[in-house]
Amino acid sequence: VSAFVEECRREWKRLGVPELLAEEMATDLEADLAEAREDGVAAEEILGESDPRRFAASWASERGLVPDPPPGRERRRRWPWVVGAIVGVWVLLAGGGALFTGVGGGEGSAGTIRTLVVPPIPATRAVPRLVGMKAARASAIARASGFEVRRVYVRPHGARAGTVVTQRPRSGVRARRGTTMTLRIARRRR
Amino acid sequence: MLRGVLDLCLLAVVDDEPAYGYEMTKRLRARGLATVGEGSIYPLLARLEREGLVATYRAASDGGPPRKYYRASPLGRRELAEGARAWREVRAGVDSVLSSTDAEVET
Repeated sequence: VSAFVEECRREWKRLGVPELLAEEMATDLEADLAEAREDGVAAEEILGESDPRRFAASWASERGLVPDPPPGRERRRRWPWVVGAIVGVWVLLAGGGALFTGVGGGEGSAGTIRTLVVPPIPATRAVPRLVGMKAARASAIARASGFEVRRVYVRPHGARAGTVVTQRPRSGVRARRGTTMTLRIARRRR
Repeated sequence: MLRGVLDLCLLAVVDDEPAYGYEMTKRLRARGLATVGEGSIYPLLARLEREGLVATYRAASDGGPPRKYYRASPLGRRELAEGARAWREVRAGVDSVLSSTDAEVET
């Protein structure tokens, strides 16, 4: 059992989970497992599985402590910088060309060093507020924000038919790209 | 089957009184719900926390080390009410579909 927790610690470290938080999770888990053992409850009921790495990764990921699932991470991180570098070089060359040929734009543009910052595509997105909108519009906005959509139709309870009554995740928080947003939509009265 | 409903049950057991992780497992079991085979509750608790459905704080447990306690937030209580209603609808539907079958387990 303690070997399991040790494996978790290693996995969290590998995934870049801040040490303090990893330690907090490990301590809580150890305390719970110790108590379960006293009660004669199998560790398996607490852990739900036998693979510490998978367990550790899913916990950390649900806590929002892992930027992205490991397989896609490298690729996603790297290419925006490559694009940034290419664009940056292009801008410098164009700027230099303008300087030498004197084809600068307005006054002061020639010889000015411009830097172009291309930010990496963020792994998380702000969740938009969709409550009150028509389902189609809400879904379109959610998808445009990088989320998947799941619609659940519920009793209207006074809400206008076809409008979003509640949403999950709530607006304002950040969620990983590709997260499924659940929209509860007031259905028509029968 | 239980996966989505387990979130709801976790919210329900910390609705009146806060609890730490293992305490929640115990409450579920005391109410007749074994979580064996349903995966661990920790990733679910993490998600509930991230979505603001539970609030957490650290406090000493009875005679044990300090634990992370969870309790349902106002948003969580609303989610619980709504989820419980949705579950009753599903349950009623499944019951009525299954009640028309005469298949029985042979003993």
